[in-house]
Amino acid sequence: MYSYLKEHFDIRTAGITIALVIVGVVSVYSATYDAKASEIFQKQLLWVALSAVVFLIIVFLPYRYLQFVSWPSYFFSIFLLLAVLLVGRKVSGSTSWFSLGTMRLQPAEFAKITTVLALATYLARSDVTLQKVKYLALAAGIVGLPLLLILMQPDTGTAIVFIAMFLPLLYWAGASRFTLIAIVAPPIAAFAALFGTTAFLVAVVVLGVLLYLTKEHRIVAAVTFSVMVMVGLSVQLIYDRLKPYQQKRIATFLDPNADPLGAGYNILQSKVAIGSGGLFGKGYLRGTQTQLNFIPEQWTDFIFCVPGEEFGFIGAAIVLLLFMALLLRGVSIGSTVKNKFGSFVAIGLTAIIATHVAVNIGMALGLLPVIGVPLPFLSYGGSALLASMSMAGLLMNLYANRKEY
Amino acid sequence: MALQDDIRIYEKRRTLYLLIALLFLLFFARLYQLQLIYEDEYGKKSEENSIRSIPREPVRGYIYDRTGRLVVDNRPAFTVTIMPFEFDKRNIDFLASLLTLEPDFIRDRLQKGEDFSRFSPVKIKRDIDFQTLSALEENRDRLPGVDYQVESKRVYTTQARATHILGYTKEISEAQMLTHAGDYTPGDVIGFSGLEARYEEALRGREGKELSTVNVRGQVIGRYEDGKLDAPPVEGDDLTLTMDFGLQTFAESLMTDKRGALVALDVRDGGILAIVSKPDYDLSMFSGVTSPDLWHTLNTDEAAPMFNRATLSRYPPGSTFKMILAIAALERKIVTPSWRITCGGSFRIGNKIFKDLHVHGSVNMIEAIQRSCNVYFCQLMLKTGLDNWAHYGEEFGFGQLTGIDVGEENPGLLPSTEYMNKKYGPRGWTKGFLPSLGIGQGDLGVTPLQAACYAGALATQGEYHQPHLVAAMKSKLTQMADTLRFPSRTISLDPETWQVIREGMRRVVEQPGGTGGLARVKGIEVAGKTGTAQNPPNPDHAWFVGFAPFDNPQIAIAVVVEHAGFGGTAAAPIAGMCIERYLYGRLVRFDGLASIRSVKHSPKDTVPKPTVQN
Repeated sequence: MYSYLKEHFDIRTAGITIALVIVGVVSVYSATYDAKASEIFQKQLLWVALSAVVFLIIVFLPYRYLQFVSWPSYFFSIFLLLAVLLVGRKVSGSTSWFSLGTMRLQPAEFAKITTVLALATYLARSDVTLQKVKYLALAAGIVGLPLLLILMQPDTGTAIVFIAMFLPLLYWAGASRFTLIAIVAPPIAAFAALFGTTAFLVAVVVLGVLLYLTKEHRIVAAVTFSVMVMVGLSVQLIYDRLKPYQQKRIATFLDPNADPLGAGYNILQSKVAIGSGGLFGKGYLRGTQTQLNFIPEQWTDFIFCVPGEEFGFIGAAIVLLLFMALLLRGVSIGSTVKNKFGSFVAIGLTAIIATHVAVNIGMALGLLPVIGVPLPFLSYGGSALLASMSMAGLLMNLYANRKEY
Repeated sequence: MALQDDIRIYEKRRTLYLLIALLFLLFFARLYQLQLIYEDEYGKKSEENSIRSIPREPVRGYIYDRTGRLVVDNRPAFTVTIMPFEFDKRNIDFLASLLTLEPDFIRDRLQKGEDFSRFSPVKIKRDIDFQTLSALEENRDRLPGVDYQVESKRVYTTQARATHILGYTKEISEAQMLTHAGDYTPGDVIGFSGLEARYEEALRGREGKELSTVNVRGQVIGRYEDGKLDAPPVEGDDLTLTMDFGLQTFAESLMTDKRGALVALDVRDGGILAIVSKPDYDLSMFSGVTSPDLWHTLNTDEAAPMFNRATLSRYPPGSTFKMILAIAALERKIVTPSWRITCGGSFRIGNKIFKDLHVHGSVNMIEAIQRSCNVYFCQLMLKTGLDNWAHYGEEFGFGQLTGIDVGEENPGLLPSTEYMNKKYGPRGWTKGFLPSLGIGQGDLGVTPLQAACYAGALATQGEYHQPHLVAAMKSKLTQMADTLRFPSRTISLDPETWQVIREGMRRVVEQPGGTGGLARVKGIEVAGKTGTAQNPPNPDHAWFVGFAPFDNPQIAIAVVVEHAGFGGTAAAPIAGMCIERYLYGRLVRFDGLASIRSVKHSPKDTVPKPTVQN
């Protein structure tokens, strides 16, 4: 019995998941604590219970079903994304929610998973090879369709997650180095251009050398290179045409201290919360930044401040270690699963979680601008929690069936 | 998968492991930086965020007179405040009608307060009455953010005004905020004039602070650390004055309806016993709210009630200055006391004629002082010369600040050769200018305070004490009274000089033929000198300086009544009665009153009877 369990039940992923969910519940309780357990916290508890059920179902779902439902679920997601644009609820400027009674659903959270499933199914086909532009373009299309719909909500954070999960999956599926560099080069050039001409020139030279080193056909390399340069140059033009609040967001990202009460406020307060935590933290429910609501809507995107402020470096480091263990475990499962589809799904899901963690914690630590992306397992929000638990469940399912072809 | 794929898989896995490790390495490094290296900086920021320090005004120090009588007291007063971030500006009109203020006034104050902090209360109106308070209470629900604080206001407990000396407190101005950066918050009260201003630091005490925890909207959630770190305000020091408010009240009553000043001091230490400047105003008009109208009235009044004549007015001293010339002539051995002239009633130099009231006939120095013979002193001035005269003027403190510990003062004017050369050119003035200086006219100006100090130095045969008002300060913290020390100096003259001058002054009051007989006090020998200072084209100013008792002087006094005519009739009786009131503790005669009644500034006004306390 024990050996069977060990063989078919990924005790490590389960342990990490449970630990993270507990940290999340504890943190949301603190962030919404106001002399008593808040309504928000009670809702979150309800979602935890619901997610646990879904999690268990997914863990023990017959493996073949996954591949079987991948395309239907993908198109169902597309349908939901379209529907939410038409009948959805507007919350803080974006139409990304469905209301089901008192519960709200965010289809984009689930579209991430179904897109990974569909992409994995497609890339696992024996006739698909990423050496050919046709297949590469189709793969990009599978990601691009939901991405476009999400950008229309608009939900920049989730859109970034879609792009970011695509690259590792391509890499894992065997795309050439040139392909990967060609995909990342234009955005890097654009980003560098925001910091000025010197940064832009350095980026162009480095990327140019990298492109050259891939020994790709000269004309293809040259075209890629010029696209990259043009994108970078047009950034300045586009920046000038942006609306003032958009420019401000970018400027604030580049220097959050420049406008401490405006757009940089959240990041500054987040840094203050984490920084003031010190080594051991201020104690549970005793973080002044958290308890006195200095960080707006902290229970959603800035939940990482709670362990940071109240449990200090030690608490924050434990959370980081849990996430790192989960990501390494995801890659490990991806490389153990014999089935190509399963392997791609594992890497895709790990990439989603990794992007969320990188963007969210990077933001809380003041390394990235304010991008609305929840921290998996920890942030308040039913859809996000359900999606995170589903991904953990899928990873465990893949592990259990790793030896099947 | 094929073997080749397996190898590639391991390679890729290693790359992804590496990327993940790098990401978390970056996070750990950043976490280390924020939480362990910059912990102090961020810790401080988080404290500044969440802890609000609310200043607590200390109780202002009390003021007592030399007899221990409470002179300036505090009484609670309600001040209406607005918390800007809670206040709905649409309510301004309604609030204005409740407080009977202009809406623009509230708008303006609110704006200024908001500029300082949205989270600290802005004081809108001080010292509201009970009716307004109840009206506010009734409408509290309709006026979120409107509240009131209990503050203290000054209350004056005696009948004396001592307007220019006690001074008033007022809300701190923007300019003062800059010079006192950090110690005051807008709306705090600060001493604006008189002793309140001069002893502001001691009287104010130390502002306390109460630390509260606030949320992001600035709302107070509770006390920070249960108030363990609060600093309670420290009450201001109490002042004990050298003044006698019984005498002050009496002196003020004698000066009622006149213009002029009176200074009485204790000759033994220079402590001011009474100091009056008329007209004045009631200080209680300034405690609580001060309306702009009141300010305007006081500031534009032709009689200048805001002006402290006792220390700021420069009057020609007239004959009261004659002792300076007598001293200079004796000390520089220009003449002996027995030097005589024959007074024919006038003295002529060039085309100027100096007249005397009487034809004095043959007079020596003592007689000349006693009868105030102008002819004698005109001639003596020509013999003595400007520089000798000015030297002794300076010795007695003229032409310089006395250093009194209140408000502003005027140094007066004592001309020297240098001054005359500068003003008229070296050839622009002649000996002809001297006789008028000799009788206290011309380019000469003294303040009543200087005159009183001069009388004090004459009384003590040269002990010149810096005049002062505060005898001691008592700290509330240590309960220790700290006696203040003020400098003194000695004017050393030949004993015979003192004897002659003082005898002359004694005779002014005590001997028939003296000009100051109305200053006489039953049973006490008084010495003094009258003065009638010409002030063309207006009527003369009446002067009297003196001291008593002659043998054992205690009190020196200077009185000037503007445009009142003869010093002997208008000023001397006031001085005499003050001396009497001080030395006996009451008035022992009332015959002086008749002569006072006849002197008043405006004939329409009625002169109230002097109030006699105790």
